[in-house]
Amino acid sequence: MKLYNSYILTVAILLLLTTVIMIATGQNSLDIFFTVYVMEALIITELYVSFNDKARRGLNLVSAILFGGFAFALCLQVIKILA
Amino acid sequence: MINRNTYTWTGLGLLIAGVMVSLPAYFILHLIWLTALGICMLILSLILIALGKAVPKLPPEVCSLLLETGIDNIATLIEELGIKTKAIYLPSSLASNRPRAFIPLHSNGQKPAITKALPQRLIARYGDSPEDIGLLISTIGSTATGMLESKPGATSAELESALTSLLTGSLGVADGTKVICHNNHINVEINKPRLENGASWSHQCLGGPLASVIASIAAEAWDKPITINQEKQHNGKYYVELEVIR
Repeated sequence: MKLYNSYILTVAILLLLTTVIMIATGQNSLDIFFTVYVMEALIITELYVSFNDKARRGLNLVSAILFGGFAFALCLQVIKILA
Repeated sequence: MINRNTYTWTGLGLLIAGVMVSLPAYFILHLIWLTALGICMLILSLILIALGKAVPKLPPEVCSLLLETGIDNIATLIEELGIKTKAIYLPSSLASNRPRAFIPLHSNGQKPAITKALPQRLIARYGDSPEDIGLLISTIGSTATGMLESKPGATSAELESALTSLLTGSLGVADGTKVICHNNHINVEINKPRLENGASWSHQCLGGPLASVIASIAAEAWDKPITINQEKQHNGKYYVELEVIR
């Protein structure tokens, strides 16, 4: 349970810090926000190697959903450039 | 399908809040920063719901009751028999099916050589002499070994990885582990243990619950009998020294 709490806190703090930094630097593209969030979430999930099987399976599913969102945003950008 | 626990409820709350913040922020208010915050909430909600499914359904208090009852029963048995010899943790190949602790009833100062698998009985014979008998019991480590994904290898790194995965990931009773092996000695350092050690007679014989788990896993990894030489707690760390019986 302590590991879960530490993981959730790390992800939450990192995502909020990223939001603050990106707003401060004048970033105004939602795609970039989302891409950075997905990358951070995936990296932190990989760093927490000692999760049990059940948690790992659930987080893999979340990673797949986030990666799907990232792929969708990428496709939209490619279509926009080509059009 | 969904466990009703704090993680799940928090996740569902954040999911609803995330949708309620991000959609109006993007389509009505046209505020990117608020939409980004809504997306943060959605990502966290997905993580919380995923972890909520992995939280054990049995409350920790019930697990503690079961653990204490089991330890009490073994302690009573050992105290009644007046055994003072240190337990030998056997791998599953020498103890039928799963790793167990073997407590010799008689000792002449030398550790008994167990070379063949012992029968799955409480009182087991390991040699030809009438005094070559002992108690073959399951410990907390015997059951904990079954929680490992695969049998660890006989190296420091593999044992450390297995112990961290079990004690930190599955059981949540420590913050991390460090293993150093030299010759037939294995030194294990547990960072911030959260399992109390008793000071009973059985503790001197079998070791503390954490040491028992470590010894069982090490015995399984090395596929050799192992004893607990020393265990001590200092500065929030728990040190266990094991000896591999060759």
